[in-house]
Amino acid sequence: MVTLSNNDIAEAIYLSTKDKKGNELGDTTKKIVEFLKNRGLISKSREILEKLDNIINKDINRIVVKVYTKEKLRDKLKIELITYLKERLKAREIILEEKQDEKLLGGLRLEINNEIIDLTVKKKILKLKEYLIKK
Amino acid sequence: MSTNYIVENLKKEIENFSSQAQVEKVGYVIEVFDGIAKVSGLSDIKSSEMVIFPNGETGVALNLEEDVVGIVILGDFSKIKEGDEVKSTGKILEVPVSNALLGRVVNALGAPIDGKGLIKTEKTYPIEKVAPGVITRQSVDQAVQTGIKAIDALIPIGRGQRELIIGDRQTGKTAIAIDTILNQKGQNMICVYVSIGQKDSKLRKIQTRLEEGGAMTYTVIVSAGASESAALSYIAPYTGVSIAEFFMDQGKDVLIIYDDLSKHAVAYREISLLLRRPPGREAFPGDVFYLHSRLLERACRRNKEYGGGSITALPIIETQSGDISAYIPTNVISITDGQIFLETDLFYKGIRPAVNVGFSVSRVGSSAQIKAMKKVAGTLKLDLAQFRELEAFAQFGSDLDNATKQQLERGKRAVEILKQAQYSPFAVEDQVVMLYALTKGLVDEVPLEKIKEFEDGLIEYTKNNAKKFHKEIGETKMWTEKGEEELVKAITGFKNNFQAKA
Repeated sequence: MVTLSNNDIAEAIYLSTKDKKGNELGDTTKKIVEFLKNRGLISKSREILEKLDNIINKDINRIVVKVYTKEKLRDKLKIELITYLKERLKAREIILEEKQDEKLLGGLRLEINNEIIDLTVKKKILKLKEYLIKK
Repeated sequence: MSTNYIVENLKKEIENFSSQAQVEKVGYVIEVFDGIAKVSGLSDIKSSEMVIFPNGETGVALNLEEDVVGIVILGDFSKIKEGDEVKSTGKILEVPVSNALLGRVVNALGAPIDGKGLIKTEKTYPIEKVAPGVITRQSVDQAVQTGIKAIDALIPIGRGQRELIIGDRQTGKTAIAIDTILNQKGQNMICVYVSIGQKDSKLRKIQTRLEEGGAMTYTVIVSAGASESAALSYIAPYTGVSIAEFFMDQGKDVLIIYDDLSKHAVAYREISLLLRRPPGREAFPGDVFYLHSRLLERACRRNKEYGGGSITALPIIETQSGDISAYIPTNVISITDGQIFLETDLFYKGIRPAVNVGFSVSRVGSSAQIKAMKKVAGTLKLDLAQFRELEAFAQFGSDLDNATKQQLERGKRAVEILKQAQYSPFAVEDQVVMLYALTKGLVDEVPLEKIKEFEDGLIEYTKNNAKKFHKEIGETKMWTEKGEEELVKAITGFKNNFQAKA
């Protein structure tokens, strides 16, 4: 028997709901829930929804960027960051998810899917430590 | 040292330090068990790519699945925990290589374990590499002198060949390998001994023996001990061959010994089962053939245009109760260019090295022998086969004609001459002298129980009384008529003396 991965199911859900609206969308959603229940996949719904989010984001060229800073970002900096990321990642839309972390000491750390750009003071100090030990 | 000096120095170093932001590809540990980590993320990772864990431990990505990556951890996995950040490096696992490795014992990651301090290395070599192609190769035509008469005469090994040493436990497999390393002194050969899953005591013994024989000056030992993780046993032979390739790239001839590949296959089976790969025959994974074929294919003799040099591989396989038709033995037999088959029965009969001449073969054959050896050992294998057949028949009848009796006596002497004690390699000139005496029937009259004594005496005697013959073999690899006359005279003279004394 072919096993369906969470990604396969999420993709199927996306394709079946993509162009639907109103009642039609409601009916399809009900059918999806029924399908998940019959297949015993309700417990995996969180992972499937995560995958669905990724698929939608990819399709509409929307990128979620996690930003870790010591203090909250100022609005001006936020706009500048979004403009820069839009250009660099060639994305239609950038969603910034802000998180504060005291341990970073300063600067910021960006997480874009599996990629990390670490511009924090903490990272710089760690690199300096490595450099001095090696020397 | 003053505080000011330290501060000034530190300031200078900090001024020189520049840190550039880099994009790093990361994943997160989902679970860790038995040296395996399952990691989410790392979406662009390649198979066999090296990853780094937060505490500096390295790992190799082996299973690339849809959502997770299966990674074998090379080192201590007890400090790795769920949620740890794993960074991909974008490169295949590499080991440090340098000429300073000679005389050292290193682990599977190339780090020294002999307590002799750090090894200065300039370069790193990837442990996985595509084997040299057909265009870069040359056929095997130079001998590796093992110093073991039975092998050099009957199963010759050439530089660039892959010759399997196979046999049950305690039959002298490692002894052959160590004797071969010891005999490489002055033969322009670098040796790499890869110990896989062996007891540390055994490794220490081997190291001491090689040091005593002065062989460590041209030898590197790579060890993944029995107490280390299966992942290290798995990569140890690849590390060894990468070190060998470093020397081959300098145009040198290298001999590499894998002791042993049965344990290597078992380590790979352990990793594969933990990674939940489907088990096949004897629970080994489906790619266990490729595991060994890609390793042994890296042994080669490269032609001059591509820098010359060679890697001769002597893999060792341990069989269970002489069963050479098990999965791993048949695989490695089919990959290699011949095998030296050692038998327990022969070992206990006192025939040591316990080489079964009938089952052993070298597919490169006589092209890897010097001309003189070819001449004296040409028919020896056939003669021994005929002797064994006759010996079996002779058990049933007592009336034998003279020719048969003579053949039997010659065969018995051949068996006796091919016996050799451990750690006493024979120079090729001495081997030729002994085999010449045998094939020309010059030892037929020597009593069987005195053959060893006769051999020792004759070797010493000819060194002084057949100097021309020795010189010719050393220089031109073949004797002239004059040299031969001198040798016959020396042998006859010694034999007469020997018999008179007896």
